[in-house]
Amino acid sequence: MPEYLETIIDKFTFRVAADRLYTRQGAWARLEENGRVRVGVSDFLQQSSGDVAFAEVRAEGTELDTGDEIASIETIKVNVSLGAPVPGTVVAANPALETGPEIINSDPYGEGWLAEIAPADWEAGRTELLDAQAYFDVMKAEAEARQG
Amino acid sequence: MTEARKRIVIVPCSGIGKTYGTVSREAAYEVTEDVRPDDTQLVALSLLVLGDEDARAAVAACPAVTIDGCKLACATKMVKESGGTVAREYAVLDVYRRYKQFKPQGIAELNEGGHQLAHALALEIGAAVDETLGQDAPATEGAADA
Repeated sequence: MPEYLETIIDKFTFRVAADRLYTRQGAWARLEENGRVRVGVSDFLQQSSGDVAFAEVRAEGTELDTGDEIASIETIKVNVSLGAPVPGTVVAANPALETGPEIINSDPYGEGWLAEIAPADWEAGRTELLDAQAYFDVMKAEAEARQG
Repeated sequence: MTEARKRIVIVPCSGIGKTYGTVSREAAYEVTEDVRPDDTQLVALSLLVLGDEDARAAVAACPAVTIDGCKLACATKMVKESGGTVAREYAVLDVYRRYKQFKPQGIAELNEGGHQLAHALALEIGAAVDETLGQDAPATEGAADA
């Protein structure tokens, strides 16, 4: 599988990183070598939400169930309440967001990550998530529907 | 002969129907009408886009302060494409990040936060105008007052 799945709709190019899992909302989750799960937003979610003004991650030590708000993101268009993709405890927030939250827009799959979770049970939690191809299909259908 | 004062042109975003565009225009009106009326002149971005001769002449003759409503930065790009010099460029989103308490909402009519953000931006631009005029060489006597 290529590094990214990609589609062009109207003048917009949407990419889905192939090396991670997704919620239908557009949160991504990737298990890191240290056992933490890194969390961020998909390219489609960041593009459709607009330029980020502020991003606030729940405090370290916060225990979350799947779907509990892990971060709130205020953009020029909307306020996004991002649900945790898997249950666990917040162990880190991306420090880069404090001074440059626009990095979520410019690099959503890389330096624009939001938080890291110590997962309660990654193997169980991951079964509720979409793989890249499944999310790509969901995202593409939604993007096309919005396009009309 | 009176000494002509060098002026600054203010070019805000032309985005109609966008909150941040509205903030940019309200700030521009406040600068040119209240904060620094003697030193600044409003130039509509739409006129630059249409190639209006007076607008292009004003931009070519004076340094510009641009106020962009989004990252497309149309105001800044258009001033440069029109042969102008951008003395200072502002993005409303960056200004909002400095004034988180002033959350702008509304389009045709801004909310109170939007008005406050526009006011804060206008004051910043006023200071930038002073700085720009102070840094530049004194205006030449008889220079065109665009």
